[in-house]
Amino acid sequence: MNCRECVEHLYEFLDRELTPELEREIRDHLEDCPPCGEQYDFEELFLKFLRARCRTQGAPAELKKRVLRELFGE
Amino acid sequence: MTNATPDLKRESFEREALVHLDVLYRVALRLSGNPSDADDLVQETMLKAYRAWDQYEKGTNAKAWLLTILRHAFINEYRRRTRHPETVDLDKIEPYAVFPEVQDEDPQGAFFDRIVDDEVLRAIDQLPVAFRETLVLSDVEGMSYQEIAGILGIPVGTVKSRLFRARQLLQGKLYDYAVEMGYIKGSPA
Repeated sequence: MNCRECVEHLYEFLDRELTPELEREIRDHLEDCPPCGEQYDFEELFLKFLRARCRTQGAPAELKKRVLRELFGE
Repeated sequence: MTNATPDLKRESFEREALVHLDVLYRVALRLSGNPSDADDLVQETMLKAYRAWDQYEKGTNAKAWLLTILRHAFINEYRRRTRHPETVDLDKIEPYAVFPEVQDEDPQGAFFDRIVDDEVLRAIDQLPVAFRETLVLSDVEGMSYQEIAGILGIPVGTVKSRLFRARQLLQGKLYDYAVEMGYIKGSPA
């Protein structure tokens, strides 16, 4: 596993979408390679940031009422 | 469940489908781009889902099933309204990696923390729709590649490459914004 391969698979690694073998190879590489480790931290932080910023909003109460009214005549 | 009484149907629909209203609304809002269209899209999705509820295999993946319906409804409406649908050639978009740009100045990505919700949402809304829907399903709603592939009707490999490019593109937009706002010095273009 070299740095290029590691960076290529970094998102799949973060998303837990890799085979166990490949996942192990990436983990080993990240432990031995500080620059790739830094990039891993950066990308992980970015994904957490994205999720936190975008999930604050939910369906408006009025929409919920409208759906219930339409479905069940309430 | 095909012979379910109305009460049982309603009860299972509330338990398995209505609980996903927030997810449906968030996705609808990012796809349609405005609250009024998002409301209509969710309403239409719920009506279609309730009518087809007997076809849904209870206890499987209601969230993915509902999102598939929502996405079809969006695409139909989008095609009807847009005489010139988005013709962006996704392969020609060349996202650049942000990390090498910030590696020396801010490797921890602290500049992200200064960017407010609205600005992030605005940047997402500027992504081509094929990238936007993939990113929202994955990064906001936490769906797996397999689930996203099912909802969008594309191979898992395509989900993977779109997600990679969508994230890089979004990072690039947010980085440019952060430089513009002076949150980070950045390197001269």
